[in-house]
Parts: sequence; C-alpha cells; structure tokens
Amino acid sequence: MTATISHWSPENQERAKDILASYPEKRSAVMPLLYVASLEHEYASEDAMREVADLVEITPIQVKSVASFYTMYKREPVGDYLVSVCTGISCFLRGADDVLEAVEEATGVRSGETTEDGSVSVEHVECIGACGGAPAVQVNYELIEGVTPDKAEALIKWLEDTKPEVVLADEMQQLFGGQQSFDWGPADTMGAIRPVPAFGVFGSAKEGR
Amino acid sequence: MTDKILTARMDAHPLDSHTLDRYLNTGGYEALRKAIREMTAEQITEEVKASNMRGRGGAGFPMGVKWGFLAPAEPRYLVVNCDESEPGTFNDRQLAERDPHQLLEGMIIASYALGVNHAFVYIRGEYPKVARRMQSAIDEARAAGYLGKSVIGSEFSLDVTVHMGGGAYICGEETALLNSLEGRRGEPRLKPPFPAVEGLYAKPTIVNNVESIANVPWITTNGGAAYAAIGPERSSGTKMVSISGHINKPGNYEIVLGMTWREFIYDIAGGIPDGKELKAWIPGGASAPWFVPSEHLDTLFTIDDVASNGSMLGAGAVIVMDETTNVVAAAHRLVRFFAHESCGQCTPCREGTSWLEAVLKRILDGNGQPSDVDLLLEISNGISPGLAWPPAMTTICPLGPSAVSPITSITRWFMPELEAMIAGSEVAVG
Amino acid sequence: MADNTVSITINGVTHEVEAGERLITAAENVGEHIPRFCHHDKLEPVGKCRMCLVEVEGPRGKALMTSCTMPVSDGMVVDTQSDVVKKAQEGILEFLLINHPLDCPVCDKGGECPLQDQAVAYGRGESRFIEEKRTYTKPMPVSDLVLLDRERCVLCDRCVRVADDIAGDPLIEFIERGSHVQINTFPNEPFSSYFSGNTVQACPVGALTSVDYRFKARPWDLESTRSVSLIDAMHSNVEIHTSRGKIVRVYGAENNSVNEGWLSDKDRFAFAAFSSGARVTTPLVRDGDTFNEVSWGEALELVSSKLGSFIGTEVGAIGGAHSTNEEAFALGKFVRSVIRSPHIDAQVGDGIDPHLAAAVVNRARIDDLDSAATILVWGPDIKETLPVLYLRVRKAVRNGATLVVASPYATGLDSIATHVVRYRAGSGAETLRKLGQGDGDHSAVAEALASGPIVALVGRSSLAEDPKLVEAVAAYAGALPDAKVLPLLARGNIFGALDMGLAPNLLPGRVSTEDESAVSELEYAWGPLPVDTGKDTMEMLEALADSDLRALILTGADPVRDCPDPELAARALDTAEFTVAFDAFITDSSARADVILPAAVWGEVEGTATNLEGRVQHLGRAIPPRGQSMSVASAIDSIGRLMGTELNAADWKVINREIAAVAPTYAGLTADFLTFEAGDEGAIAPLESDSQPLVHTPADVSVPVVTDRFTLHLVPSLYDDSVVVRNTEILAPLAGHAAVRMHPKDASSIAVTDGQMVHVGNLELPVVIDPDVVQRSVVLPRNLNETKNLAATGAIRVETVRGDA
Ligand SMILES: Cc1cc2nc3c(=O)[nH]c(=O)nc-3n(C[C@H](O)[C@H](O)[C@H](O)COP(=O)(O)O)c2cc1C
Ligand code: SF4
Ligand code: FES
Repeated sequence: MTATISHWSPENQERAKDILASYPEKRSAVMPLLYVASLEHEYASEDAMREVADLVEITPIQVKSVASFYTMYKREPVGDYLVSVCTGISCFLRGADDVLEAVEEATGVRSGETTEDGSVSVEHVECIGACGGAPAVQVNYELIEGVTPDKAEALIKWLEDTKPEVVLADEMQQLFGGQQSFDWGPADTMGAIRPVPAFGVFGSAKEGR
Repeated sequence: MTDKILTARMDAHPLDSHTLDRYLNTGGYEALRKAIREMTAEQITEEVKASNMRGRGGAGFPMGVKWGFLAPAEPRYLVVNCDESEPGTFNDRQLAERDPHQLLEGMIIASYALGVNHAFVYIRGEYPKVARRMQSAIDEARAAGYLGKSVIGSEFSLDVTVHMGGGAYICGEETALLNSLEGRRGEPRLKPPFPAVEGLYAKPTIVNNVESIANVPWITTNGGAAYAAIGPERSSGTKMVSISGHINKPGNYEIVLGMTWREFIYDIAGGIPDGKELKAWIPGGASAPWFVPSEHLDTLFTIDDVASNGSMLGAGAVIVMDETTNVVAAAHRLVRFFAHESCGQCTPCREGTSWLEAVLKRILDGNGQPSDVDLLLEISNGISPGLAWPPAMTTICPLGPSAVSPITSITRWFMPELEAMIAGSEVAVG
Repeated sequence: MADNTVSITINGVTHEVEAGERLITAAENVGEHIPRFCHHDKLEPVGKCRMCLVEVEGPRGKALMTSCTMPVSDGMVVDTQSDVVKKAQEGILEFLLINHPLDCPVCDKGGECPLQDQAVAYGRGESRFIEEKRTYTKPMPVSDLVLLDRERCVLCDRCVRVADDIAGDPLIEFIERGSHVQINTFPNEPFSSYFSGNTVQACPVGALTSVDYRFKARPWDLESTRSVSLIDAMHSNVEIHTSRGKIVRVYGAENNSVNEGWLSDKDRFAFAAFSSGARVTTPLVRDGDTFNEVSWGEALELVSSKLGSFIGTEVGAIGGAHSTNEEAFALGKFVRSVIRSPHIDAQVGDGIDPHLAAAVVNRARIDDLDSAATILVWGPDIKETLPVLYLRVRKAVRNGATLVVASPYATGLDSIATHVVRYRAGSGAETLRKLGQGDGDHSAVAEALASGPIVALVGRSSLAEDPKLVEAVAAYAGALPDAKVLPLLARGNIFGALDMGLAPNLLPGRVSTEDESAVSELEYAWGPLPVDTGKDTMEMLEALADSDLRALILTGADPVRDCPDPELAARALDTAEFTVAFDAFITDSSARADVILPAAVWGEVEGTATNLEGRVQHLGRAIPPRGQSMSVASAIDSIGRLMGTELNAADWKVINREIAAVAPTYAGLTADFLTFEAGDEGAIAPLESDSQPLVHTPADVSVPVVTDRFTLHLVPSLYDDSVVVRNTEILAPLAGHAAVRMHPKDASSIAVTDGQMVHVGNLELPVVIDPDVVQRSVVLPRNLNETKNLAATGAIRVETVRGDA
C-alpha cells in the first residue's frame, strides 16, 4: 500500500498519513507534503522531492514540476531565518526599497543569498497582503508591518543575537513594527520554527514563550 | 440595522472575535440552525440569488447565479478562495483572521445548499496565521458538532480541509487554484468547461471568494431581499475595501458603495499625507487601469460606474499615489509583479510581460530610446489587442492583459513624464 | 452523413464539416491552414502557444479564439485572415522569436521548421528585442536516445503530452514558472521510455533531437518512402527518409487502424543495424572454419547442385518470418514444388499452432480494442514484444476499457490493468477452470468477462508453458460474450509467412494441408506436391541431429538463438550435410552454414507484408540492396532455374499476382489494389470472408500440469541481444543485464539473498528478490548475451553458488 518514509521522524510519518487521508486523491497532498519534507531535509532537496513522489505515487520530475512552480519550496539550502522584504507596489510607494537595502546592509548579503553562518537568508518578495501596513517584512513567513529601515536593521541584529527558537509575529511587531493593515486583535502565541509556514498540520508551528 | 455586516463582531469584541465562545454569544451558528432546520437547499440558493450579491473575488459574478449552474453529478465540492494575492488587497486576511467562524458558518451553509460534503479553504502560503485561525475554528466547530458526520444532529455531513498555497498569485484564478489543489502546477485551465460543471477532480465545484461566503450567514438570517436593499442596485450589500499607498488612514473599510471617490479618499481614508497632491490611484487592485484626480474624483464608487470609466473595482483594493510618485517606476513595479507571477503557459504573457518589464527597467536605468513608447504599446497590443477595457486577450487568462493596465495608464495620463524620462531630462516629479 | 456534419463559414465561404471536430482541423480539411505549434491531432488540446488565434463571431461581436481548442458548431462564422488575426499572429511569432536562438543554419530542423517558415510567412521581419536573450546550456541529454536544446524550445507541451498521455512515462515535465519555464528531467532519472523517439518527431522545432540524426542530413536533400516497420508483427507505418542512397531517419506515419503515427524506439532507430559493418554483403562459402567470398554465380551453382543431390524429403527449410510475403511465397513454392519437401516452418519452436495463428474464428482487428468493454491479455508481455500494440491497449484503457491480464510473471501491462491474474506456469489450465467457474478470488475477473464486447489477445506467455495452453485459452476466450480473439506472435512478418504457407500444416492463403480439394487446386498450378506430413522446426532439428534429414535451408532464421533448445539446434546444424542460409548477418545459425547468401533486407526490397490482424500493406523500397545483397526471391528464382524449374520469382509484382491467384484468402489483394484502392490503410485479408478456406475454432484441449522444482521463464525484452539491437549503436547499450528474479520464499528456501550469485542451469547469475514472481518459478530475460544459450524447456535447477554466502 502507500509508502511511508521510514527515516522520517515518527511525528512526520504520522503527519504524512493524516495529510494523505485529508484529500480524496493522493496527488493533492503534494504541496503539504513538500512542506513536511522541507522540515525533514531543511529544504525541498532532491531527496525530499523523491520521497514526496513515493508518497503520492507520481514521478520525482512531476513533483519537481510542481515544487518549482511555487516560490515557497526552497530547492537550495536556506538559513534558519528567512527574511522576506515585500517590494510590491504599496510597500514600494512606502519606501520598501530602503528597507531591503537596510536588511542587505545589516546581514551583509544580497537578496537571494544566505549569511556565512547560515543563520539568515534574505529575499525580496512580491505583495504579501500587508499593503495597509507597508512596508512589510516577514521572518519565516511571520509578519511585521510598518517597518522602517532602522527597525529592519534592529530586527536583523535581534535575530542574530537572540536566535529565537520560535519566531512570533506579535512579538516582532511589538519590537520592530508600526502601522498595521488592521487591528490584529489578541496576540497569537503560535510561531514558526523554520522557513516553512507555521501551521500545525505541517508540524512547523510551535507555542512561543 | 447596522450598515456593518462582516466587521461588526470584530469591532465590538476586538479581543476574542475569533473564538467559538464569542461567536456563539453574538448569534453565531444561528443562521446554520435556521438553514438546516427550517430551509431547503433550494430556498437558501434562492435567498442568495435574491441578494444580488456579486462575487467579491474580482470577477463580480452574481453568487446565486453561479450556484444555480452547479451540475448535478456527485460528489460536488466547495472551494473558498483565500489566495488573496492581488497587490493592494488584504481584506480576506482580516475576515478570516479576526472572524473565522463567520466564514466557516458561511461555508457550512453553502455546502448544505449545494449538496457538498467536502469543502476546502485555499489559503495563500504567506498567510500562516490565517491558516492557523481557520484550523482552530474548524477544530472548535467539529468538537461542537457544527462539522463532521452529522452537522447539528442532522443527516448532513461535512469535512473542511485547509489547503495552503506555495507562493503563486496565479493560483487565485479559480481554475489554476483547482489545479494547485489537485497537486499540479497552478496553471489556469481552458474554459469551458467551467468549475461548476467540471472543477476539482473534474467534479462539479463552486469556487467563491472569502468575503462572498462570509456574507452567507447574514443573508440566511436576514434574507436576500434585506441584503439587496443595502446600497445601489447593481452593487448591493457592503463591500470590504482595502486602501493603501500614500494615504493617511490605510486599512480595510466595510462600506456601502455609492459615494464619490473624493468622499472615499478624503473623508473616509483621511486624504493624502503631508498635504501632498493626489497624483493617481488604482481603483481595483494592480490589474486595474488607473484613475486620476482631473477625471475621476467625482466618479461614483460603484462596480458599474468604475467599469463605465474604463477600469474595474476588482477585489476592492485602492492604491493611492501622491504627487511625488515616479509613475514609470510605479508602472515598472506593477509589470514586474505580473511578469514574476505569469504561469508561463501562454506565449504572449510569458514573453510579453517580461519584455515589458525589461523595457521599463531600461528606461528607469536611463537607457530609454524614443521608439520605446511605441514598443511598449506594441508589446501590450500583442497581449491585449486594441488596448481596450475590458481587455481583449490573446491569452488563456486575464493575468497577461492585467500587465497592460499600467502601460496604458501611464501612456494615457502621464505621457510627458514618460517621454521626459526616456529623453533622460529632469523628470517632472516631486 | 448530413446529421453528423455542421456548416461553418470560413473567410466568407460556407463548408460542411464534421461535427465536434476542432476548428483548426476542420479548416485544414477544407484547405484553410491555420498556423500552430502546440496543436497535435493525436494529443489533447492545450491552447498554450496561442499561434492559432482566429476571429469567431459571437454574441458580443468578433472575438479572438484559439482554433485548436474550439469545437466547430453549426453556423459558426470564422475569419482566419482579418487584420486583427494577422496582427495577433505576428505578435505571437515575435514573442516566440525574442528568446529563440538564431542558429537555424546549424539546427537539424532548419528547412522543415514551422517557426522558421512562419517567421517568413507571418512574421514582421527584424526583431525589436534588444534586451538579453534567455540562454541555457546547449543540448542536454534527456535520455540515451534524445537530446534537448532548451533555447530552441517553444514550450508547446507536445513532448510532455506524448510522454505522459500516450506512452505513460511521465519523465519529462515543465519546471519553473513564467519566463523561466523549461522542459526538464529529474536528476539521474532520464526519460527512458520505449517511445521516446515520438517526442522528437512531435517537437515542432529543433529542441528535441535524436542522438543518431544530429547533423546527418538537411531536410531539403531528404527523400521519403512510405513503408511499414518489420521490427515486429504490428507493422507500424513509417516514412523512410533517405539521403544520398542511405537511410538517415525513420518517422512514424499515420495509419489510424494500426499505429496512429506512433512508433517504438526500436521501429524508429533499428534501421542502423542494416547499414552497420556486421552486414554480409557478398556470397560466402565455407572453407573449413572460415568463409571465402565467392561470386553469386559460383554460390548459386554450388547451392543448386547440392540441394539437387538430396531426395526432397531429406531437405528442410526454416525461416521466412523476416521476409516479404513475396519472398516467403517464393520460398514455399521452391521448397514444395522444386525440392518437393513438406518440411517447412517459419516459426522456430517458440510459437503457436499455425492454424490458430492464421485462421482463428472471430479474429479481432486492432481497432476492435477501441470499442471493447473488456480486454483480456493472456500471452507474452506486449510492452516488450509488440510495444505499439501496448500503446493501443493503453489508449483503450484510458478511454474506459477494463483490462484483465493473466500471466505467470509481472508484465508491462500490470500497472494499467484492472485485474491481474498471476499463476504458476503449468497451472494455467487450472487457472482457466477457476476463471470459468468464477471461483472466489477470480469472481471480480469473471464478472468483468461476463459481458462484451470483449477482445482477447492470446499468445504464448512463456516457453515454459505448454503450447496447448494457448489453444485452451483461445477456446475459453472465444466462448466469452461478444468476443473476438487476436492471436499474438511478435516476429516481423510471421503472419505473412504463415499466410504464404510456411508451416508444416498450411499452404498459401490459409489452406490446410488436409484440405484435398485445395491441395489439388494448388497442384494444378504448381505440379505435384509432397505427400508426407511436414515436420515443424523442432522436429526438423531432431531429424537433422539424428541424420534423418540431411540438408537445411535457412532464410533469416536463427534457431540456435531463438528455438527453445539451442543445444539441439547447434547439434542439428553441425550434423547437417549441407546448410544454405539466406541472411544479412552472421548469426549463431548462419555461422554454421556451408553457404551464406547475402539477403537484401527491410528498406531494400519492395513487396507486401501481413500484420498480426491480417492486414496486408505495401513495403516500400527506399534504397538499393547493400553490396551484392539480393532479394531472397530473386536468388531462389535463379536456383530454381539452375535446377530446371522456372519459378517466375524474379519480379515481386509477378509473385504478388500469383499469390492473388493461388492463395484463396489473398484473392484480389494485388499490389495494384493496395496502391490504388486500399491506400495507406492497407487491407485486411480476406476481402470477402468466404474466400478463406480454413477457419479454426479452438478446442478446449486438456493441458498437462507441469510440476518442476523451479519453472524457468525466459521472458522477452525489447532490447535484447538480437542482431538488430546488437548492431544498432545507440540501442545496443540499452540491453539489460541478466538477473534471476525469484520469490522471497524460494530465495530463502535455497538460502540466497538479494544480489547473491546462483547457478541457473549452467549459468552463474545474480538474484533479484521480487514478490511479483510466482513461487517456484524463476524469471530471466531471454536472449541477452548471458542467457542466449539457455534452454527454455521449463524445468531448471537453481542452487546457491558454493562458497558464496
Ligand atoms: C489572475 C487572477 C487572480 C485572481 N485572484 C483571486 C484571489 O486572490 N482571490 C479571489 O477570491 N479571486 C481571485 N480571482 C478571481 C477568481 O478567479 C474567481 O473568480 C473568484 O474566486 C470567484 O469567487 P467570487 O465569485 O466569490 O468572486 C483571480 C482571478 C484572476 C484572473
Ligand atoms: S495569461 Fe499568463 S498567467 Fe494566464 S494562463 Fe496565460 S501565461 Fe498563465
Ligand atoms: S495551436 Fe492553438 S494554441 Fe497552440
């Protein structure tokens, strides 16, 4: 019957089973499983794609065809903290390019690169749905709105110094954010442990301090 | 009766509007009870038809009419589109984050009305918080008997699956979304067949936007007529509008359509920061042709008035540019987006959008050529012949033509600035 | 007729066209060509390239539509030449060209490239694209046979659809997005498919090329000859492309009743074997352990005097399965009427009863697969032996047919089968009985076979099987509701050879040797025929070994390699007093002959051939015979003359007319009929059902049960050690290496683990443990270099190699 990937952690094997069970057809599980595999392998490596192919019973190139269509499956190693600076139209109008520059300065790497020590990767992204809180930045897809170049620099320093185990949007918003798209309401205590969207189903979310 | 339908609860209870407890003690899931206990599936669809509610995802297609097209074959699916990726939009995010049960109740009622037993929410990958909030709402609801084998003790059963995207704007297009949900590349499908006939797994499928579905509980409780009575005839109900860019009070506003743009931008959204002049605004997200103060400040903010003035309300995203804006740079930023997001299957979109981007970049870098204006228009013509609005298309889906809007906008309203930039002379901004 | 046509108006002219047809095809058929790249008649429309845009009038006025995706509808008004359309097409072309390299002069497609042609016809000339072009590393191999140049690719999706939808090998795909989209394979997972060459032919530009054709020729000096492939009994239609007297390329040609344009890579690439250095190009006469080249005159003198020195019944003839119908007929006429021997057989002991193969009642056509509710395959692995037939079955299954596969070992069909019935060789009869009764685990299968229409593909699934089982299965299948039976044999023109009477129990035109009136009719034409009953190949070999037979004629047959008992065959040929071999190669058998006559081969001989459904088609002659090679028929004609009989076999058309005259089933099937009446589709013999004398109704024979410790299955593989594969440079490396597949339980019973060496008969081979193998049988690929001399008699000793553990 369906393959299980024996060298995955028991939790992730369990997750894979549940994910496969939550769709009428196996192939639908490709995207969620790519996230789980990215946690197992630290990124969507060739092995990760091969294993997903086994799980949903398609060929590895069919998985790669899907993975490479999207921007969030990283097929190269990525740092512990993926800093995504939105440079879409609204953020651009609000000075996003300066924020990106500040991040590049603070990390010493350019967009698309990862710091020597493998801690921080920087990328500039298209609109992330935070236009009301422009300019916006995400760390491991957890959001900070109303970021200024100075705050961005401080954010990087904070990441490199404190190396938070769980990245929490509300905590970062407190420390480095400003104008919000809307009142976020009460703080969310769940955050991200890797550059994979923090979602229980993937095992990428953790309760923060 | 309040003129707020979708945001009333979160305004009144900012601290816990997303919890089941709060939802229940503010009348939550009453609509579902009424639907299942007192109404037939047909009656619900009739009410939705009567509401004249036009889909909020951008195409503006009447929701009830779409439901009416659902083919009889089994199984059928409901897919809620929370891919919200049109630059300028962030209102689905607020609705799903702050009041997930409202959306979920809408889904359950819709599923009951459509004979669906498995519904999906497709949430863009960059919205992990939305996914978390939806999932806990689903878990709460299942525990409380609003989901699962027998919904509130009835025969009706429903599963809801949260599906996260992987970072691709095009997956907002409903057929690309379905491909993505099937574990394929997010490439739009040829239509016909339409999803209502052959959608997810080639089965009849209704795809609706978050805001559209979030209105369903209210319509069920108060009736379609009551909803239709709100606002102008063909733009009935309230609309969530996101406004961003050079504006004093950016954010989401749930408004009744029909005011002028002047009222919206200045009275509601607080006008332009630092007393600067308004230069242009995009009335309906990155895909829409721009409006300018000299022409459109007193145009009415309704679906039809915006359309008759050569643009669209789309997903309801207003992007404001003040006098300091370099419109060529702004256009480049918009075109860059579409080039980046093109799925790449149509020749004109794949090649044309990246070509437009390259030419604009060259101009911005100071290497413009006099022939570039014609070139930009020619390339645009190859994607959207005639450069009319609504656009003619050489493409499968409207993304390609969307990349043309910024070009026609700057050539129509800001030609001198564009030419000056090409000529390399001091650009008339600031 | 009128009810399934609609009328549409194209550029002001109204036409009646087929309802449901795509607009682009309908237009083409009435002479309005619409440019296209992604459209392909045999593939699902994708509407991606957007080149085929036309204006169609609709409720909201004229609109641009892709004609490849739009079905015609009655009253449709179309403009394919308006300024809007022209402008759109110019635009698309310019878009396609901005990132396209300007390397037409060195591109294999240059001269036959729609992009190049259309750029001239519809393009706007010089490009306004001054930005940097997309660049990729120049051709990358996507398989051992196919190269990909991504810069030239127009992303039409044809190759992906061929690989995925047609071949079922989704190993090439689009990766990346937007302007970075490209075709690619997964690292270390090449596009290894038996059908990869079809992507090269389908590619509208020069992006996909075959390794053997690059830079070989320029399209403008190519000549094309229509023919059919004789690689297997499917007879897929081909265009043979020649340049300066050499075959440089073989393309699939459309025959919708046969191959629908598709080819196996063996059909497509194996022609190279015939131009390889291994060809025998002059007559050779044995001199001790070596051969001397001699003149045809000398050789023919020798052969005719030798053959004349025996009594007819002391001579046997094996072969004809790779000849044209005319060559086979000439051979039969020669052996029966000049030599006057009844011992003649085109099969080499690995086949089935000729009456069943040639004359089964309710014989199916390939097309019947399309309308079958259920397809039963009980025979050889058709993916390995008849790959294009596999494509036809696959297509039928995709369109909803139920597929039942019965086999003693795993086959290429299992993955698409609805039900797989696996049984141990020897217990086939048992399995049949169970199926008949619909016992327990077979009930689902029995149900699938309970209602028709049913098409049964029946053949010999393994040499370990008793040949009688095929008869029993055919009897069972034939009795199913609304059932038709297609007997399976794979060798080139084997069905043609049988129809020409190259079997101990058959005379030309599906006539039984038992049929007195038919025999006397033939004697009226040929003179007296031998009276004794003929021996089949195995009997001839035994007789030769026992010196009951003294001489042997081989025509393209290699019993030492192909018959179930290579050792016996070798002994037989060594004992024979005289053997003449008509052959193009020195094979294990011809190497043992006294005279080798260089035979002209496929592509060098004109004639006709008959495929597995009895379809007679024309074989084109694309090039002259290599060196001094000669058609078997002309050689036989000379030998006959030297022996005092005029066979009139020098000219294929003369033979062809005689066949139509004396072979009842071939009445009317003349070359002229095929050319002027039947056309490219060919024609199924007989034209009139009542002109076939012999109709064989399979009998429910009892089949003995084999109970060997281990039953050996020598299973065929497409790429084996046969002369055509071995001598085709690009295919030879694809032949696998022998490994013994056995069931885990059996492996442990003789205490071997995966990869360990075992003795199989006199061979020493590694074990592959495979739960798909039935217990107490072992599976080995047939006719690989390692296994070529292995006897396939069924029983086999398998034991661990001592000291290896
Ligand atoms: C390029 C493109 C992007 C789209 N993005 C979205 C989106 O992010 N969210 C959405 O609800 N609809 C989006 N749509 C519209 C959907 O195709 C579809 O019309 C809509 O989800 C239907 O829901 P509605 O009828 O409730 O509006 C997009 C359409 C196109 C062509
Ligand atoms: S228009 Fe662009 S995004 Fe839409 S289908 Fe074509 S290539 Fe893809
Ligand atoms: S041929 Fe019609 S879109 Fe390509």
